[in-house]
Amino acid sequence: MAKKKGSILKIFIIFAIIEIALVIISGSFNKQLQIGFNNGKFVFKHIKSHYDLQEKITEEFQIDEHFRKTGETPEIYGSNQVYEFFKEIFGEASAVGTFQLLRMMLIVDLLLLFIALIIKKQLLKRPSQPQILFEMVYSALEQFVIETLGKEKLNFTPYIVTLFLFIWISNMIGMIPIPGFMEPTRNLNVPLGLGILAVAIVHITALKVKGVWGHLQNYLNPIKNPLALLDIISEFSKVVSISFRLFGNVLGGAIIITVVSSLVSYVVFPVGLNLFFGMFVGTIQAFVFTMLALTYIGVEISE
Amino acid sequence: MELSVEVIRIAAYLGAAISVGLGAITTGVGSGIIAGEGAYGVMKQPKANEQIFRTMLIGQAAAQTAGIFALVISMLLIYGGFDVAEGGWYRAAALLAAGLSMGIGAFGPSLGAGYSGGEACKSVARMPKHGNAIMGNMLIGQALSQTSAIFALVVSLLLLYSVPNQPAGLTMGKIILKSISLVGAGMAIGLGTIGPGTGIGFVAGKANDMMGRFPKERSKIMRTMFLGAAVSESTAIYSLVVAFLLIFAV
Amino acid sequence: MELTLAQGIVKAAALLGAGMCMGMGALGPGVGEGFVAGKACEGIARSPENASLITRTMLVGQAVSESTGIYSLVIALLLIFST
Repeated sequence: MAKKKGSILKIFIIFAIIEIALVIISGSFNKQLQIGFNNGKFVFKHIKSHYDLQEKITEEFQIDEHFRKTGETPEIYGSNQVYEFFKEIFGEASAVGTFQLLRMMLIVDLLLLFIALIIKKQLLKRPSQPQILFEMVYSALEQFVIETLGKEKLNFTPYIVTLFLFIWISNMIGMIPIPGFMEPTRNLNVPLGLGILAVAIVHITALKVKGVWGHLQNYLNPIKNPLALLDIISEFSKVVSISFRLFGNVLGGAIIITVVSSLVSYVVFPVGLNLFFGMFVGTIQAFVFTMLALTYIGVEISE
Repeated sequence: MELSVEVIRIAAYLGAAISVGLGAITTGVGSGIIAGEGAYGVMKQPKANEQIFRTMLIGQAAAQTAGIFALVISMLLIYGGFDVAEGGWYRAAALLAAGLSMGIGAFGPSLGAGYSGGEACKSVARMPKHGNAIMGNMLIGQALSQTSAIFALVVSLLLLYSVPNQPAGLTMGKIILKSISLVGAGMAIGLGTIGPGTGIGFVAGKANDMMGRFPKERSKIMRTMFLGAAVSESTAIYSLVVAFLLIFAV
Repeated sequence: MELTLAQGIVKAAALLGAGMCMGMGALGPGVGEGFVAGKACEGIARSPENASLITRTMLVGQAVSESTGIYSLVIALLLIFST
């Protein structure tokens, strides 16, 4: 037990050192020094820092609004042809935001695929450290599925684990200080999509288990359920609460980090905030989202 | 109607005073609860003196987070350079609303975090062997109850930095409408965090208490705490949605 | 859309009312749901073999006590969008 705790602490310290080094390199979060890929080329240059917070918040969180107001040409960290393609599909109004969001989601998906392939390739009898971490995550979530749904519903485990890993990596990817990197969950569309998916899966499962009339009479039969109207409203409020919880926490962390790191041109404090919001809050919210998605299913099908 | 700089300054100073004045009330009460339970615990279990003391200090520091948020907002309001007449009535209303939001919003979370920390001190005094587990659980519970304070902080930062300047040539009716809706947004999230903050603090406190009595059931207690706290938070999230609508959609 | 002064004040009152409605309406359900969850923690610690039963009771009870919060949300949305 003591050894396991020590190794987690070691990983944490290594992570903190890497984070501090990256932040110092990228100029204490004000992006005064830019490192990254621009039009397929590696960029390493000083940019002029501006301390107008209002402008900065608009640039960070309402990027299309910003470029419409200032009339600058947006800086694309990626392929220009793809951006032109997006501009034709989505129109001028929300091209940059959509492009950024889809690029980040693609990065997260590729990362998940990459990790899965690497772990699968190195499956050993005496597992390595990353394998232990992922096996821990998998078996803990599998235990929760067994406790909530019972042994015969184990086929829900892959869905739950995928949901958890996707939200977890999405919440943590904003910590990497590369220009243009942001959490995909910061955009409302992603949590809302995940929430609608979770509630839809609840109802599909209930229709499968209880039959069509057996499930629908909870909402349509006023003799069996006198509060049917309230139940219908509360199904919609489930989507709102589950998705806005994730969105509000991630957006809140991002706004606080932006404001604080532009107020203090100090290196260590934003790193601590970044670790708190990225690792602690991100992990807790990913866990809460997954557990709620699981218990909604459990409440609906267990009678 | 033209507006002089003085009105915006008046709004900023009033907002700063409201923010830190209201925000300090329950921060003090919460820290006091923790200290009281800590002292009582030392009386009961003098051998675990150091452990109880450590739990008390860390719990008090975590319980004062919302008060520190309120302090940051009032510092920003005083020294943040809000003395340009361009913003007009929109800016004045937004500054007042930012103070209201964070000041009232610090109420519930600090009370909840104080209750949670107090129960943790009691629990450590009962079972000093599991002190570290109880302290970890206390920190997680306090972080959960501060989530609603973070919502209030986000709304007041948005009110400070994301409200547009008042365009020229508006009718008086339009100006009143937008200004009052900004104040309404601040009130919505401020009042809306009181209940959830206190409730989640109660959940976390009960979980800490039970962890001292039945240390074997640790994982089950923690899981129930997460789930219950997450569901209790949903009304704070409805308030956040209404506040966003009032800021950005009106 | 041109607003007269009286129309502006009426609409402004509706918006302030929406904010107060949601804020105060969130007070009761928050405390109540927290109480439910706290008692559920206690129950699970005392009889862990009934964990899934207690969790289900807790969630259903919280859903019912949240209904007043949902009423407030509906009224606030009505005040914002339909006056």
